[in-house]
Amino acid sequence: MNDVLHSTDTIAAQATPAGRGGVGIIRISGKKANDIALQLIQQQKYLQPRFAHFQKFYDNNQDVIDEGLVLFFPGPHSFTGEDVIELQGHGGPVVINSLLNRVLNLGARMANPGEFSERAFLNDKLDLAQAEAIADLIDSASEQAARCAIRSLNGAFSDHINVLVEQVINLRLYVEAAIDFPEEEIDFLADGKVEGDLQSIIDQLDIVFKEANRGVLLKEGMKVVLAGRPNAGKSSLLNALAGRDTAIVTDIAGTTRDVLREHIHIDGMPLHITDTAGLRESPDAIEKEGIRRAWTEIKDADRVLLLVDAADVQESDIKTLWPDFFAELPDLNKVIVVRNKIDKTDERSGVSELNSSHVINDVNEALSIELPTIRLSAKHGEGVDELREYLKKAMGYQSAVEGGFTARQRHLEALKQARYYLGIGQTQLTDNGAGELLAEDLRMTQNHLSEITGEFTPDDLLGRIFSSFCIGK
Amino acid sequence: MDYPKRYGVVVIGGGHAGCEAALASARMGVETLLLTHNIETLGQMSCNPAIGGIGKSHLVKEIDALGGVMARATDKAGIQYRVLNSRKGPAVRATRAQADRILYKAAVRHTLENQTCLDIFQQSADDLIMEGEKARGVITNMGVRFHSDTVVITAGTFLGGLIHIGLESHSGGRAGDPPSIALAQRLREMPFRVDRLKTGTPPRIDARSVDFSKMEEQPGDNITPVMSFWGDGSDQPEQVSCYITHTNEKTHDIIRAGLDRSPMYTGVIEGIGPRYCPSIEDKIHRFADKNSHQIFIEPEGLTTHELYPNGISTSLPFDVQLDLVHSMVGLENAHITRPGYAIEYDYFNPQDLLHSLETKFVEGLYFAGQINGTTGYEEAGAQGLLAGLNAALRSQEKEAWTPRRDEAYLGVLVDDLISMGTKEPYRMFTSRAEYRLILREDNADIRLTAKGRELGLINDTIWQQFSKKKEAIEQETQRMKDTWVQPDTETANKLNEFIERPLAREYSLMELMRRPELDYKKIAEITGENSVTGVVAEQVEIAAKYEGYISRQLDDIEKLKRNESMKLPTDMDYDKVKGLSNEVKQKLVECKPETLGQASRIQGVTPAAVSLLLVSLKKHRGAKPLATVSK
Ligand SMILES: Cc1cc2nc3c(=O)[nH]c(=O)nc-3n(C[C@H](O)[C@H](O)[C@H](O)COP(=O)(O)OP(=O)(O)OC[C@H]3O[C@@H](n4cnc5c(N)ncnc54)[C@H](O)[C@@H]3O)c2cc1C
Ligand SMILES: Nc1nc2c(ncn2[C@@H]2O[C@H](COP(=O)(O)OP(=O)(O)OP(=O)(O)O)[C@@H](O)[C@H]2O)c(=O)[nH]1
Ligand SMILES: [Mg+2]
Repeated sequence: MNDVLHSTDTIAAQATPAGRGGVGIIRISGKKANDIALQLIQQQKYLQPRFAHFQKFYDNNQDVIDEGLVLFFPGPHSFTGEDVIELQGHGGPVVINSLLNRVLNLGARMANPGEFSERAFLNDKLDLAQAEAIADLIDSASEQAARCAIRSLNGAFSDHINVLVEQVINLRLYVEAAIDFPEEEIDFLADGKVEGDLQSIIDQLDIVFKEANRGVLLKEGMKVVLAGRPNAGKSSLLNALAGRDTAIVTDIAGTTRDVLREHIHIDGMPLHITDTAGLRESPDAIEKEGIRRAWTEIKDADRVLLLVDAADVQESDIKTLWPDFFAELPDLNKVIVVRNKIDKTDERSGVSELNSSHVINDVNEALSIELPTIRLSAKHGEGVDELREYLKKAMGYQSAVEGGFTARQRHLEALKQARYYLGIGQTQLTDNGAGELLAEDLRMTQNHLSEITGEFTPDDLLGRIFSSFCIGK
Repeated sequence: MDYPKRYGVVVIGGGHAGCEAALASARMGVETLLLTHNIETLGQMSCNPAIGGIGKSHLVKEIDALGGVMARATDKAGIQYRVLNSRKGPAVRATRAQADRILYKAAVRHTLENQTCLDIFQQSADDLIMEGEKARGVITNMGVRFHSDTVVITAGTFLGGLIHIGLESHSGGRAGDPPSIALAQRLREMPFRVDRLKTGTPPRIDARSVDFSKMEEQPGDNITPVMSFWGDGSDQPEQVSCYITHTNEKTHDIIRAGLDRSPMYTGVIEGIGPRYCPSIEDKIHRFADKNSHQIFIEPEGLTTHELYPNGISTSLPFDVQLDLVHSMVGLENAHITRPGYAIEYDYFNPQDLLHSLETKFVEGLYFAGQINGTTGYEEAGAQGLLAGLNAALRSQEKEAWTPRRDEAYLGVLVDDLISMGTKEPYRMFTSRAEYRLILREDNADIRLTAKGRELGLINDTIWQQFSKKKEAIEQETQRMKDTWVQPDTETANKLNEFIERPLAREYSLMELMRRPELDYKKIAEITGENSVTGVVAEQVEIAAKYEGYISRQLDDIEKLKRNESMKLPTDMDYDKVKGLSNEVKQKLVECKPETLGQASRIQGVTPAAVSLLLVSLKKHRGAKPLATVSK
């Protein structure tokens, strides 16, 4: 019985509550737990069971995400009865999130609410009396999930998902009809409709994903990185936003070397502000390492505030002075130029924005247009409120989809999966003409979208085929 | 009179379900009686003279993989073969054969008459012999009492059968056959939920009055496929063509003008008909904007002039039938040999069945075929086989065999019926199978024959043939995995001519076959090795092409098995499960799922409800059982 009950897939989730804490724990359970841990810490050797190993956690670029303890509890002597890994890292939501994402990329699946307990229960790790308690736990987890869905989704998110699901179903109608009714007069796959609809679903899903991502930011906080040349005033701005003297400020170029983080709220919305070392060519080994870390932060940011000294740099010059910076950025749409030290020039504080729907596609384009720009003085405070206002907007209010909504990491995961299968299905159709594989990928897409919302059976699908097309010899 | 011989299994009905049931049970060495109205109609095709098609061929091949007769009879009778979806992937390809009605019937009868442990008796079954709540035999209309361990009922459209042509109606089981009234009455007294369904058939046409030159010819495939795994096609008869014509505006006008005399539109027929095989009046009513429909003209056999016009099933009055036929190109002067008609009949709610097809209320009583709400020979045959083998297993005091959804279309069919019931005649489609990429017609033997052997359904000859094939596939797969091509070798260069991205590292032949530009044949040509037969090569190639998809489905199946292995007692008290909503409770009480997996597929049963069931199952495992024994 026990063997049958063993699940095949490996699950992972944050075990400590979301938010800031001294320590954040990620728990992984399942066959692949040990493998994932070894890849994460880039070691081949065997992990000694029930022993605290101090290790660095690496992302897929060999960059360090965090460092902390790894504990290995081989099944069946573990909480769930399966192989369990616990990663104890620093408790910041951002670090924990990157760590969790890395673990998911390595092959784990996001655990459902109560799933660890459920597995523990299924694997006979708990006795009858405990089972009573767990029953309540599973119960409450699902109820809570339901309540959360209602409260935090505001209905808006579900609506978007439902629209997507509906479109996937309509597409499946065509593909399934082509497969099950090949003797009809129309060839459902050949008329180009399927390809067009598929692309349109992909586009819409990408938009919803962006919105959901924003929703997650709303809940878990947006990561804003301060970047720029030495002495631009990054540390001063960090202090201004945090409202306290966190970072050392001097007029010596290259003051900041370590990455400094501050967690702040703007009208209740969480923000993670990161100060970094000034970017320049430096022979100094310590500074060099600081700059390398700065780049890691920049690449991982939701928004990059590019600080310049307004007195040094003409507004029109920024990009021409520094094209390599833009060339190295993964997403140019994240950049906001901050013209600091306007007390030294006669500029007025304020914000000039890009048309909100404008999407920058490449470096050349970025170099040719006006990037969103904020003029302020970190030292004297003018324009800092406008920056706050701007960041607030960037998080919640400025949304491509009417209204915006909140979402959770689990939803992002489901959307990512759905997107993945749509992509594969598209290749199967266009490269291989394999309708039956596209059908399978669409089924998976729908399953993943339905994890967020409702259910649908194949019989409904047939029912719709019969009512949409005249079919049958 | 009590018949002196006692049987392990008595099968009522000699249609497609009954024949497979009787043969399966007898193959397992259980003494079996096949009781049917008329020995002349054993294996009769009531409707279209064709076997197979999308989803259906999958069932035929599964029957074949378990030693059944349908595929082999088809190969003795098939006069036009086509592989449908041949340009799509292997998972959705389906073989379809026009079958000569007479040859088919003869092949089935020949098999029945030569099966050891099987007796045939011509007589109507009117009643069951009951022993408490168990079925223990059958009483015929002459009063002969056949005693047995189990009874399988496969009465098709005969229970309470009512035939309609226009507004006229009369009792009948099928044109020319009597209905089964006494048995229907008897079954209606039992606690089964009974309802009515209907189906129809087109008028038949005399080929001598048809102008084929005006119609499009549809020949069979160039290389004639074979239906059975165990045959080579050498016994197939002469091949002929089908033809295609169309309905037109005039046809549609004639039909619309006749609707006031249609039993369906005047409310005379209450039963629900199949949506995928609608009558022509239905098609015209529901898709009013289509001004033409495709009609296939199919031969009924080599020794008859009768034709089957596929697509104009109708219950309109005969004069309207005649006019509508004459309105079509090529049929202007057609003579109708038999009028089309609709038939209404009793069926039993399949939710009252267990997955073994034994009824929940009467031990030892099994239902199979059309009476469970399905339609089609293949659906009937597959259920017959399952009911027959399970009746035999019960007679042998062994545990039932119930294929899962991931093992066979047979599993999908039965599970769909039991979990969801059916409101219209149920027909198989590939889209009903979530594991479609694994459940292919080409691998039905690989999936099922070993199980069939274990159950005693497979004889030594077939078993040897199968084992040889299986071994060859395994060997060839291994060879393809173990043979490596190094980059920059002569072989690699030859391969590079065909593929987009040239080989950059060493590849096994198996990996290479995954590339869309390459297949088994091309690789064999280039590497100069090809020692295996076509069917073996096909299996190896499909395994490579579907690799990623199949392993993902296998993962899913692992998960499914977990829930599937959790049995729910049939009389489980859902009121005692904390936290279930009333709606879910009601659904569960109605469907009485046998396993947690089945419960999860019932519409409206949420994942949260499934967790609650799981918890309550686990909680009570080993302690006092949750089910309260009520008998
Ligand atoms: C008019 C009509 C149109 C159809 N159209 C289609 C179609 O378009 N497509 C399709 O896929 N399928 C169609 N079918 C259905 C197909 O014929 C059936 O699904 C299939 O034959 C069912 O097989 P079965 O074994 O369940 O029953 P049947 O083939 O009906 O066999 C029942 C057998 O049981 C015997 N029997 C019944 N009662 C008793 C008794 N009391 N005692 C002894 N013997 C008994 C009968 O004599 C008969 O031999 C149609 C059927 C009919 C009648
Ligand atoms: N006049 C004026 N001076 C400023 C302003 N903001 C920062 N400064 C000064 O600029 C100098 C450098 O400021 P920092 O905040 O340390 O600059 P930094 O970008 O963090 O520099 P590094 O850490 O070396 O990369 C300090 O002397 C600040 O007082 C401003 O708004 N106006
Ligand atoms: Mg600094």
